Amino acid sequence: MNKQQDVESNKFSLLVIVLDTNPSQRIVRQNAQLLTQCVDAIIAFGNAHLMQCSQNKLAVLSCHHHATDFLYPLPGKQLDVRQIDGQYEVFSLVEKTVKQRLSHIITNSPKLNTPCESILAGSMAMALCYISRIQRNAAAGVKMHSRILVVTGSNECASQYMTYMNVFFTAQKLGITIDVCAMDKTMSLLQQGCDITGGQYLRLTQLDGLLQYLLWVFLPDPQMRQKLVLPPATKVDYRAACFCHRELIDIGYVCSVCLSIFCKFSPICTTCHTVFKIPGPMPIKPKKKKKV
Amino acid sequence: MADIDGEDPKEYRWETGYEKTWEAIKEDDDGLLDGAIAEIIQKAKRKRQAQKTQQNRLGMMRHLYIVLDCSESMTVPDLKPTRMLCTIKLLEIFIEEFFDQNPISQLGLIVLKGKRAEKLTELTGTSKLHLKALEGVSKIPLTSEPSLQNGLDLAMKALKVVPSHASREILIIMGSLTTCDPVDINSTINALKADNIRCSVISLSAEIHVCRHLTQQTDGSYGAVLDDAHFRDQLLAHVDPPPAAQTQENSLIKMGFPHAKTDGGKDPPLSMCMCHIENTEEPSKLTSGGYHCPQCFSKYCELPVECQTCGLTLVSAPHLARSYHHLFPVQHFTELEFNGQAANCYACQKPLTEAMDKNVYRCEKCAQVYCIDCDIFIHETLHTCVGCNTGNSNRN
Repeated sequence: MNKQQDVESNKFSLLVIVLDTNPSQRIVRQNAQLLTQCVDAIIAFGNAHLMQCSQNKLAVLSCHHHATDFLYPLPGKQLDVRQIDGQYEVFSLVEKTVKQRLSHIITNSPKLNTPCESILAGSMAMALCYISRIQRNAAAGVKMHSRILVVTGSNECASQYMTYMNVFFTAQKLGITIDVCAMDKTMSLLQQGCDITGGQYLRLTQLDGLLQYLLWVFLPDPQMRQKLVLPPATKVDYRAACFCHRELIDIGYVCSVCLSIFCKFSPICTTCHTVFKIPGPMPIKPKKKKKV
Repeated sequence: MADIDGEDPKEYRWETGYEKTWEAIKEDDDGLLDGAIAEIIQKAKRKRQAQKTQQNRLGMMRHLYIVLDCSESMTVPDLKPTRMLCTIKLLEIFIEEFFDQNPISQLGLIVLKGKRAEKLTELTGTSKLHLKALEGVSKIPLTSEPSLQNGLDLAMKALKVVPSHASREILIIMGSLTTCDPVDINSTINALKADNIRCSVISLSAEIHVCRHLTQQTDGSYGAVLDDAHFRDQLLAHVDPPPAAQTQENSLIKMGFPHAKTDGGKDPPLSMCMCHIENTEEPSKLTSGGYHCPQCFSKYCELPVECQTCGLTLVSAPHLARSYHHLFPVQHFTELEFNGQAANCYACQKPLTEAMDKNVYRCEKCAQVYCIDCDIFIHETLHTCVGCNTGNSNRN
């Protein structure tokens, strides 16, 4: 018994949930109740994660239209909670903190005139900083598995591309799994992130069963998932979009200085204004391409 | 990077002033040392970061040959357990890190044994092959002298055919103090210079004039290691792409972006991959997945790779994106003395206290305050300022 306890205390898993609370999400605008339902599901899911092992840790971030904030845990002293009906105190602490913080954020957020995009990439970067801090502070010999779950109903936008890529590669380097639960549109960029970090991507078709989906697909540890029958991984399109027409291309030309991608040969790079030396056989090549 | 690394070459160690290391540690009012020690650690952490200077033009498509001395001198146990084993361990780290930071670059290994040079691996873009070859290096009998010239000649022959837009580099790890060369080494050095091959040397014993001369002629860097930690720093300094050579040509490179084909939901037919077709140890297996060259439809199991059939460089978009942080680095944060600017670090939510955080760091763009650990994490790993990317008001 004692030995088993030792083994258990040597590892824990940290789950960071990034919840998109941006009011300009299409599904939230159509049905404002949905956010409440979403938050309830997230709290229940977070508690389910904490319940699996007493060492497990949880953090919840909200990605609002103007800022990103931690919903749980609070940076300094935690809220005071008393045990209610014999419930584990941490569960009520999570629920109370998340709800209190969220209502604080929503009431204090600036008025939104036009819908604006959620800045998920930045929130994920913040989650990575938090995870790396917990990892630094973990006692020697303690194994820690971390993952990030993104729950969102917004569209992704190309302007965050670089941040997304930096986040994905950092996560890959640190061995952090990124899971994505898309509630509305298909998110091809985040899909790439799941593929790079070995996480699970799921696009919901029915929002009523959100908690059910979360518990089935995202609750098991990534190590355990191999043994489960989960939604099959979709083929990820890794083609590049050219900088000139924003079209996905199969064969392109890459600037050797700034790595910009173009679909046709041009003598000057539009990004870094480098003048290219046209090598001998080069002028023939575009012709070849036209034939195809 | 300067041609001579940070240390002053004119002064010998015994000529420098007597270092009173204990004087740097001062007790605080309560007679505790924690604060002072934390400060020393912070400074050391940041020093490395500050050395990185911003370059506009980098040689991002790198072709690097590592030339490893396998002579008798590598058995010396001044680096623990021996020079050779220590080097192998550090090279493993280096190779992983190199491909992580330079995804569209290529690496090759050359060993100098018994006055001869032997190519262990050709220039390739996958780390697995090199790591496997490196395992075999520990079994090489370490005897006689190395030949620097033979090693350089072999590397030069391979690097000559590399396209002119790519950077060509040789990194020599030298344990021996002598070299046994067939003819005058100056002819080789001149040829290297003419071909714009940047040669850098890390010496495990002491500074050698011919190596110093070589690095000066070819714009490389030279370093002699003090101990294993210093060796590691010297080696990992070569992970970051060097500034592009003036003469390096710019060009547009034709590249293919393979994508998994889906024909109406059906699985693609089983096929063999080209990368393992000639490999007898791990024969090519019939699989349905893989990446197909958009030009000739040969299949490969992993990217990036150069198509063996048509010579097209195959990459995926994230591979290119991974190099962007070299081009758009996060600006250095300003170091401020902590006096309650913020209750906690913006990124990791660590409560900032007077005792542990002597300095805090502020991004000039978004004016958020970070702790030292986040400052280092953001600049070394994440390459994205958290504050600038959260909050719409700051972004536009």
